[in-house]
Order: sequence, then C-alpha cells, then structure tokens
Amino acid sequence: MSEHDEGISKRQLGIALAIVGAVGFLAILSIDLVDAGRPGGIGPAQSLALLLTAALSLIGLSLIPLGDAPA
Amino acid sequence: MTRLAGRLYGALIIAAAAALSFSLLVYVLYAINLLGFPYDYDQGEGFEVHDSVLFSRLQLPYRDTEAYPFYASNYPPLFHLMAAPFARLFGPAYWYGRLLGFLGSLAAAAAIAAAVYQEGGRRKSIAALSGLAFLSSNFVYHIGPLFRQHMMMVTFEVLAIVVLSRAFPQRDRRGIALALLLLICAGYTKQLAAISALAAIAWMLLRGPRRALRWTVAFGLAGGAIFAALDLASGGQWWVQAIVANVNDFHRDQAVGLFVLWFKLHGFLLIPACLLLVYETYCDRLSVYSLWFAAAALLGGIASGAWGAGDSYFITSVAALCILSGLLFSRVLGGDLPLPRRLQFLRRSSLCAAGIALIPLLYLGYARATLKMPTDGHFSSIARALGLEANIRGNFYDSASFLVGGYARIGYFLNDDDRRAGEQIVALINETEGPVLSEEAGFTMAAGRDVVTNPTQLRNLDLAGRFAGDQLIAMIEAQEFGLVIFRALFYPPTVLEAIDRFYRHRKTIHMNGFDYLILYPRATDAD
Repeated sequence: MSEHDEGISKRQLGIALAIVGAVGFLAILSIDLVDAGRPGGIGPAQSLALLLTAALSLIGLSLIPLGDAPA
Repeated sequence: MTRLAGRLYGALIIAAAAALSFSLLVYVLYAINLLGFPYDYDQGEGFEVHDSVLFSRLQLPYRDTEAYPFYASNYPPLFHLMAAPFARLFGPAYWYGRLLGFLGSLAAAAAIAAAVYQEGGRRKSIAALSGLAFLSSNFVYHIGPLFRQHMMMVTFEVLAIVVLSRAFPQRDRRGIALALLLLICAGYTKQLAAISALAAIAWMLLRGPRRALRWTVAFGLAGGAIFAALDLASGGQWWVQAIVANVNDFHRDQAVGLFVLWFKLHGFLLIPACLLLVYETYCDRLSVYSLWFAAAALLGGIASGAWGAGDSYFITSVAALCILSGLLFSRVLGGDLPLPRRLQFLRRSSLCAAGIALIPLLYLGYARATLKMPTDGHFSSIARALGLEANIRGNFYDSASFLVGGYARIGYFLNDDDRRAGEQIVALINETEGPVLSEEAGFTMAAGRDVVTNPTQLRNLDLAGRFAGDQLIAMIEAQEFGLVIFRALFYPPTVLEAIDRFYRHRKTIHMNGFDYLILYPRATDAD
C-alpha cells in the first residue's frame, strides 16, 4: 500500500473536525449549564475556546465536499 | 525570467539579505553584551542558573518549599542538565546558559533554512532569508541569548518537525524515532512543547493512522517513563512543582494585545504562511509545517495570556511561519504551485512574475517591521539615516515599543552603570550576616550565599493552595534574613505582609531598567 493510499481523506478529516468542534462547543457551554450557581457566566478563556471550536466545526464542514482527496 | 527582471530580482534579494543581516549583527552584539553581564537581565534567569548548579551537584531542584531554603523550580530539567557540566567547571555564572540559548537560536535558524532549501526546490536565497527572518523577529531577539530554557525548547521543536517532515512519508524509522526523541527533549526542556507534540501526532495520524498510533504509543511510553522517574526521584515534588504550580490566571487583554503585536511585527511573512496553509487545506495535502503553525499560533497565542507568559510563547509559530512563507515563495518562483480549476486564470508565469517583484519586498518590509537597534555610539549615524528615534531608555529603538502587556521589556544593551549597580547590591549583601531573601538569585550567588526562595514559584504554589510558608514567615519575623531584595514583589501576600512588618525599605538601586528595593530589619535600622 502506498503512502498516498493509507492517509486520511479530506472528507474524513472534515467529518472528524466538524464532530470534534461541535462536541467541544457543547462541552464548553455545558460547563455553565451544569455548574449553574457559578458566578460570572462565560469567562474570557471559555469564550475563546467557544470561538475556536466553532471555527473548527466550520472548517470541517467546508472540507467534506472535497471527497476522497488525501488530507 | 528576462535579464532585466533577473537583475531587479537579484538586487532586491541582496537588499533584503542586507537588511536582515543587519538585524543579525544587532542580535550578535546584543548576545555579546549580555554574555559579559554577571547578574540577572531578565527576571528569573538566576533561578535557572541555580537549577543548573543543583544538577551539577546531582541534586534535583524539585523540592519541598516549606523547609529552608524554600526553593523549588517549576521547569523541566533538560536545559539545566545541558548547562550543568559548565556549572561544575565554572561555578554559578550566566554566560554559558546565555551562550547555549544563543547557539540554540542559530541552530533553529539553520534548520529552518535547511527545510526551506530541501523542500522548496533548493533555492539558496529564499532558504537563507527564511533563516535570517527567524533571527530578526523581536520575540526571538529578546529571549535568544538569555539563560532561559525557552529558546532551547524551540530549537528541539524545529529540529523535530523538520526531521519528521521527511522521515514519516519516507517510512524512515530512524528518522521518525529521532524526531520523536527531539520532541521529548523539547517537552523536558519546557512544558509548552506539548503543543508541537500534539501537532506532530495529528499530522502523522493524517498521513498514516496505523503507523501513527504505534509511534504515538511508543512516544507516550517513553515520555511517561521519564515523567514517572522524575516524580519518583523527587518524592512527588516534580508533580507539585512542575505541573500543579504551573496553572496561572488567564488575562484576555494580554493575549489579544500580543496577537495584534505578533501580526504587526510578522505580518509580511504571516500572511503568505496563512495563504499556504489555506492552499494546502483545500488544494493539496497538509504538511506538518501547516498543522504545526496553526497549533502553535492558536494554542501558543492563547497560552501567552497566562500570568508570567508573554511574547516568547509565539516563537514556535514564528519558526513555522518562516518555513511556510519560504516554501510558498520557493514554490511560486519555481512555478510549482498547481492551481485549482477556478483559479487557473492566474497563469503560472504571471504568478512567478508577481513573485519576483513582491517576494524580496516582503522580506524588506519584514526587516523594517522587526527593526530594533541601539541609537547611540556607532549606531547613531545609521539611526539618523533611517529616521529612527530612541523609544527605549533613551538609547534604543524597538519597533514593538514596550506598550503591550506581556511583551518582554528587554532587548536594550547594558552598560557599566548596570554592572556597577549589581556590584553595589552584592557589596550590601557582603556587609550583612546570615541568609538574604532576594527576588533575584544572581546577587546572592555572587556573594556566595544560599539561594533562598523562588518568589514566582511560591506565588504559584500559594495560588494553588499548596504553600503554607510557616517556617519562612517565622524566619522573617525573627529577622533572620540580613537583607531583603525586591524587584517585582512576586512573593505571596502573607510573605509580603510579614516582610512589611519586620523590614524597612532603605535603599533603591537602579539596574538594567528596574528598581531594586533594599530592605533592612527594622530593629537594626539606623533611621
């Protein structure tokens, strides 16, 4: 099997990134939902992490149409 | 390329090389200036000297801070182990650690140039400019010739990623093993290298998931074994001092300010690097450099907002962007950038022609954006010719200025006044008896006294709820310390309160841009 064949495709990478981003986004949000009594709401580190995970999901979604091209 | 275009390109490349070489000259002179200075220049350097001295005595610096001398290090051991033979031979001194850091930065620059040369179509000029661009960065300049472990971490990271980039696709087992070993070296030089390790593993997973998993397991086992050995040898203090005490407050303003500054200083090469990242994401295979750049820029940049962090946290991303931009330029000049169907109206020859004109100008712009130099002495005429006015200490120009929080306020050259000020503080220590509580270890080491406490470490432990300080406070209350020397008041509040009650500020000595406050026991205060 050649190196080219064994790698991950753009579609697979896109799906993985979209899922990781979405799960990460929900997990970060759930910190506040679970710990409802915590004062201050979403903190600066949390908002940055939300932004990053959302961006990760969007990049993932944009890669899915590229199909079997190697990532 | 026509003859005229070739001449123009050649002239502009020479101009860019001259501008970046001037930056290198300033960097070399700065390093020489620091090598001769026997005290702390950057806060905390002395504690790294002390760590090396402890290793040279076959002692670990991960210790219980509740007992005298209340000292512990929060850094991994490798850099200090590298300096330990010098500490054994020459005793506590700054020059060998600063020299190691400086040589490390040169090795990283050489590896960057080699990567661009080998993977970018063997274009010597672009390869050389890529390496010089790394050394010209204000962030690299600051920390390169310091007795700090950060630059050595970056050196190991760069070497690891460059080796991995060729070895993994070629299934070169020795090369992959070497790259992962270098990553372990980076991680045991400074914990921040975990970001590069994550990027490397993610890239291997993209290129060959099965092989990547096998290598990752081996990598994890080797790294974990060293971790367990350190923890065992230190009686659990490695975990407390290097991991638990390393979690600090996050300041969003600092991270945002540093991101903006990073862009302002490196934008001329940062944008081309981002273009290659986007190109590889959608039109080609992702290189390890792209993933490494994205991870180092995002995660390293965010980490730069932590208390005690700063611009140095961007250096890894600067190394990656120098490689990526160099590769993009090489591929544009070589016509080796296949365009997707929608962009094929941009003919390769047009792109190449634009590159010939634009690429040297981008390096020239970068050299101007990262310019820093003395404005007095031999440099005064150059500064005048360039229209520069000092913006630091009255005799130094730094294009970054000192306005952004977290940007290291160093880089200027030291003079005889700074050396005399250091000698004055050591003389004050020599006039006293007993141990001295100093926020810089250099003075106490020069006076042959014990290094007592590491204030930032005590602060971090205190914030983590892992520092009581009863014995230290009892010694302060009993006025057992002949002197207290403050620079930044980093001690935990309870320690500062005790010092305030039992010691009195009597002298201020100005050294390398900072005020050192000298406090004496109140009972023996002549005033």
